Amino acid sequence: MKKMILQLLLVLSLGTYLCASDGIKENKNQEYKSKSVSELFGSLYESTGLNAFLSPKEGEVSHGVVVSTFNQSGGRLIMMAICFALFYLAIAKGFEPLLLIPIAFGGFLANIPIADIAGPEGFLGILFNMGVSTGLFPLLIFMGVGAMTDFGPLLANPKTALLGGAAQFGIFGTIVGAAFLSQYTGFIDFSLKEAAAIGIIGGADGPTSIFVASRLAPDLLGAIAVAAYSYMALVPIIQPPIMRALTTKEERQIKMEQLREVSKLEKILFPITVMVLCVLLLPDATPLVGALAFGNFVKESGVAKRLSETMENSLINIVTIFLGLSVGSKLASEKFLVPETLGIIVLGLVAFAMGTAGGVIMAKIMNKFSKHKVNPLIGSAGVSAVPMAARVSNKEGMKENPSNMLLMHAMGPNVAGVIGSAVAAGILLSIFK
Amino acid sequence: MEINLIAESVKFLILGMSTVFMFLVLMVFVLELQSKIIMKFFPPKKEEDSTACNSTSELSRNGNLAVVAAIAASLKSYKQSK
Repeated sequence: MKKMILQLLLVLSLGTYLCASDGIKENKNQEYKSKSVSELFGSLYESTGLNAFLSPKEGEVSHGVVVSTFNQSGGRLIMMAICFALFYLAIAKGFEPLLLIPIAFGGFLANIPIADIAGPEGFLGILFNMGVSTGLFPLLIFMGVGAMTDFGPLLANPKTALLGGAAQFGIFGTIVGAAFLSQYTGFIDFSLKEAAAIGIIGGADGPTSIFVASRLAPDLLGAIAVAAYSYMALVPIIQPPIMRALTTKEERQIKMEQLREVSKLEKILFPITVMVLCVLLLPDATPLVGALAFGNFVKESGVAKRLSETMENSLINIVTIFLGLSVGSKLASEKFLVPETLGIIVLGLVAFAMGTAGGVIMAKIMNKFSKHKVNPLIGSAGVSAVPMAARVSNKEGMKENPSNMLLMHAMGPNVAGVIGSAVAAGILLSIFK
Repeated sequence: MEINLIAESVKFLILGMSTVFMFLVLMVFVLELQSKIIMKFFPPKKEEDSTACNSTSELSRNGNLAVVAAIAASLKSYKQSK
């Protein structure tokens, strides 16, 4: 042992001796000019963030684009304030904290001057290029969602899937709305692709929104993701007034029959069945539906518990961190503080409202034709937002009749909404191919 | 601009909603058919749940006398401590 240490020391000292040879020493300081102490402090000040905020430079390039002087100073501060507001909402109000905290922190980092963290060489930029531009992260999240979701309630009463379809009206209705805005207002000008990417907010499905936006409108990604996740957190506030406005007291009190039990075989076959349908009808939706089906298949197979547990816990957590941070990188002032953002925020709200209304109205239509009555309150759960929207349905039902448990009934349209919005995403992607 | 954005987006609306519905209606039919077939040919077996037993007689029937003894002992010590 002692011998080995001695040998190691010998090698090390030989190395230092070689490095210190004279030839290199003379050339080392050629690039450096002597500076006085005040010059040293001056140049240090010029590299501080304080200087970057106070005296923005014309034509400064950040994240690969030229940034206006306002966005270098005031704009960045406004964005940081917005990020802090998101922190507040996440921590004090509990709005989707698992997502809003990484997104807002990513936004905070992206607005740091000089460091260029969200640029192609910064770590946020690297994460973004790796996982969001390629559409990888949303798919990994979908795998986890599949591993978490129990499709049993949908299998027990497949008809409720239609409610999940009707709620996708929010997506397509909003595209019309976005087209309307760009046709008739002067300051907002969305292309059809951008309108489609905004409409997908109405699917109330974060990963789907990000997947579609990264393909169709990468520049609007930050605003779209923030709008999607914020409104998902606001589902308990947005939905109830719409649900109450569209239903009568009697309708809200409808009791639904108990769901039948679903056999294990049915649950195992379900992801395969959905995949087959998807392959035949809409291969463009197979990345999303395929990831979902894979996660669910691993879970329901029951023999690969370690894999399904990883997907629904560790994997989804890791990807959520990366996804949140890289979406946050799009909150850089030069990308977010544009009039389009305002349009996206308004249209996102419209999308959620239309999706909710679509589901509720569909339930009322179904009641006209079917003898098995459906409580229209579960229609609103057709917007995905699992399981928040189903809980809202349950809560509203309990308000009318405390013994009326709608939760499991609402889970049917809720998980169908996930499939519905993935299908809608596939349609939008296929249009712009 | 040459194309009418609104007309174009209304076309998307028609295409999108009809495809989503077609997909889901088809899914509903296939799932109902599938459940009928499964119920007919592979009826679910009554699963014996060995983990959750509701009475001591069930437990002892399964040969878990140690568990019964432990429950009895803990009940006794709980009553004594009162």
